[in-house]
Amino acid sequence: MMLDLKKYEELMAKCSHCEFCQATCPVFLEDLLETHVARARLELIRASLVEGSLPVTKRLRDVISRCLLCTNCVQTCPAGVPIDEIVVAARHRLYEEKRLDAPRRYLVNKFMSRRGFSGFIGMAEALAQRMGLTPRELPAQASKRFESLCRGVISPKEKARARVAYYVGCATNAFYPDTAMNVVRVLTRNGIEVVIPDGLVCCGLPALVEGDLATVQKMVRVNIPILASQEVDAIITDCTSCGMMLRTKVAKALPENDPLRLQAELIGTKVWEVTDYLNNVGLSSEPLGLPEKYTYHVPCHRGWTPTINDAPRNLLAAVPQAELVEMEYPERCCGAGGTFYMNFRELSENIRSHKLEDIGRTGVKTVLTQCPACRSYLSAPLADHTVMHPISFLAGAYGFEP
Amino acid sequence: MKGLAKDLGRLVSKEKVRTDAEDRHAYASDATHYFAWNMPDAVVLPETPEEVSKVVKYAFDRNIPLIPRGAGSGLSAGCTPVRGGIVLDMKRMRRIIEINRGNMTAHVESGVILGHFQKTVEKKKLFYPPDPQSQEVCTLGGNVATRAGGPYGVKYGTTGNYVLGLEVVLPDGSVIHTGGTCVKQSAGYDLTHLLTGSEGTLGVITKINLRLLPLPPAHRTAVVVCESVDQAASMVSEIIASGVVPARLEFLSQGAILLMNNYISPPLITDGQAYLLMDLDGSAVQVEKDAGHVKELCSKMNAMDIRVIEDENEAETYWEARKNLYPLIMNVFKKVITEDITVPRDRLPDFVRSVQNISSTLGIFIGLGGHAGDGNIHPLIGFPQVTEELEKKAASAIEQIVKAGLELGGTISGEHGIGLHKAAFLVWEKGETQIELMKRIKKAFDPKGIMNPGKIWEHSERA
Repeated sequence: MMLDLKKYEELMAKCSHCEFCQATCPVFLEDLLETHVARARLELIRASLVEGSLPVTKRLRDVISRCLLCTNCVQTCPAGVPIDEIVVAARHRLYEEKRLDAPRRYLVNKFMSRRGFSGFIGMAEALAQRMGLTPRELPAQASKRFESLCRGVISPKEKARARVAYYVGCATNAFYPDTAMNVVRVLTRNGIEVVIPDGLVCCGLPALVEGDLATVQKMVRVNIPILASQEVDAIITDCTSCGMMLRTKVAKALPENDPLRLQAELIGTKVWEVTDYLNNVGLSSEPLGLPEKYTYHVPCHRGWTPTINDAPRNLLAAVPQAELVEMEYPERCCGAGGTFYMNFRELSENIRSHKLEDIGRTGVKTVLTQCPACRSYLSAPLADHTVMHPISFLAGAYGFEP
Repeated sequence: MKGLAKDLGRLVSKEKVRTDAEDRHAYASDATHYFAWNMPDAVVLPETPEEVSKVVKYAFDRNIPLIPRGAGSGLSAGCTPVRGGIVLDMKRMRRIIEINRGNMTAHVESGVILGHFQKTVEKKKLFYPPDPQSQEVCTLGGNVATRAGGPYGVKYGTTGNYVLGLEVVLPDGSVIHTGGTCVKQSAGYDLTHLLTGSEGTLGVITKINLRLLPLPPAHRTAVVVCESVDQAASMVSEIIASGVVPARLEFLSQGAILLMNNYISPPLITDGQAYLLMDLDGSAVQVEKDAGHVKELCSKMNAMDIRVIEDENEAETYWEARKNLYPLIMNVFKKVITEDITVPRDRLPDFVRSVQNISSTLGIFIGLGGHAGDGNIHPLIGFPQVTEELEKKAASAIEQIVKAGLELGGTISGEHGIGLHKAAFLVWEKGETQIELMKRIKKAFDPKGIMNPGKIWEHSERA
């Protein structure tokens, strides 16, 4: 099973200490202290939690917490050391599913199991939002969650050339239902039938980053049988993080002899991010012209498929008159890291400041990115910009309301 | 050390001083972690030469060892502490002060990252060739301190060939400026090039004047597939003797190509025993002409296949793969030791044969791969398992390889430096008289012996 540090000892030994991870770790690049880069994190985890040669201290907990789990180091590491999983395993060991305090754990679990806040908590959240008690980067929940707007099977006008299940993640469901609507519109416009399965819950990533394996398994045990029962060609997500979770982590989160594990692995192979999928099958409907300049921020959780980086670029190249203005470092992290920014506000804002400079230098007012966390974290300081999912931009080019 | 954190905090501010066990653990070694691992007492991250000077003066007054450090990506345990002390992490001194097109020089702080510097000068159509493969992280200060180099060495030399001047904080805290920005200098002893390659044992390098070249307008990558290691080694000196000096000329084993194919797209055929990967640069016409010439020469020498790669993106995948080769090897072995022996390139075939003999006599894996064009072929000992028996054999292999290289007129290090890793062998190359002279020079700079103690030659006090 994943999250058992013992299982990672061999993978940890593959680290040659080449230090190449210094090149891309957003946290390290802020203070340039080597304690804050993957190589040192790995050595400290080994010393404190595997060998026991260093005591577990407050500083150690800080070093293990001070990781965005952006996976940039994993993507950079030539030896392929899964540093993100090792950090998660360390958190699991250090906190035994209790890294968050009880009230926060309760809230997060509620959110995950309903893919958004509902009922009383929903009202409380809306109130807190209005009173300015929540971080300004946390978007307000939409008045209607996507699952209440759209369900069942949505067929294209003509005969469908493919059939996909659409896995709608929590953030899209609760905060960005318009994005989900656009996914459905663009897919059906292109001759693809969309199934929206009932009963799905969170992919489990918010619990995984806390090392809370029990909650991850709870989510996986709901989702996998539902997804496995769909007769579809592919499983689509608009969120790069849900995609990474479903493709590369979900099966590993189950015990090795669990009958669901094989099913989860099979599901994983069918998972696509929506622009990557469309780019792969090709557009069947030609977009209309859209005379607009845009820039593209590549979300960090892109390493699970080699083509995701360029998928939106290639797809939108088909939009007449639309023009991509590349920012200097499109793959540089925005600093959000899911909810990381709530715990390390200053650090995250510093990381974000470079991204904002990159965006500013393009002179372009439309910023595209798939990840909902990037979107909300970048939207807050970019009041005069539009930050949207590439699929919404494409939807605009089909004449849908973006 | 009592009061150390407080004192240092007062000198440079608390945020720049780390003394927690976790932070000291993070600075206990470099990329030769398997060889030596010793924690310092403190880590300081200075941001100005004045701050460096303050810390150095403090350490001088109290006889505390000082260990300057760049990225910590070195391959000689050069920045590994030996008996505690203060690590001076120079990464925050990362200003490119000036790039002077008219004079073709640059002035930088020593913590500037090599790859960032290279990209910056290339935007101005200038070229800084030294290219240790850790270039995305390693610092120019570390490069100067170790005379680092890489594939471009064959045509363009290594870091030492580009250093024109230095700002150095001496062990007593005083600051000197050696050399300058003139491309020719003939005034007094060449302290610049004494400090270049001094591995932090004489002072702390804070600023560097570097020479630049015009950016070559065209490149062409070619791969030669050879049926034997011998054949590839002989081809190297033939190519160069024929008048074509490739910008980069790398020797790669079949095993290396198998690993590199993770990056190379489309993947290369793997039926050769050895490969030459080369980059021809110059004007578009020259590059075309050289590629034709190399192709003809190699086919005359019965190469299995010669591929000239026209597509630039495809060519880049080869060099990207080459850059990642060292850490990639950890997918095959539990431990690796990389040597840095360099021989005159016309003796390369002899050296390759010696290493192969040593490998088969001892029955251990010794890979060959590296910058063959400059005779720097990095014998690499791979451990499928780490056992006492293998450790013994590896130690014996290293001694034999070093001797073989020296007998051919070679040197024990072409670009990594000596550090702790090769200290035992320096006397074999230089002899007692030279080591004694070096020790006297060291004494003149560093009478108290606080600068990076324990490095370069074997010390009786070595931990």
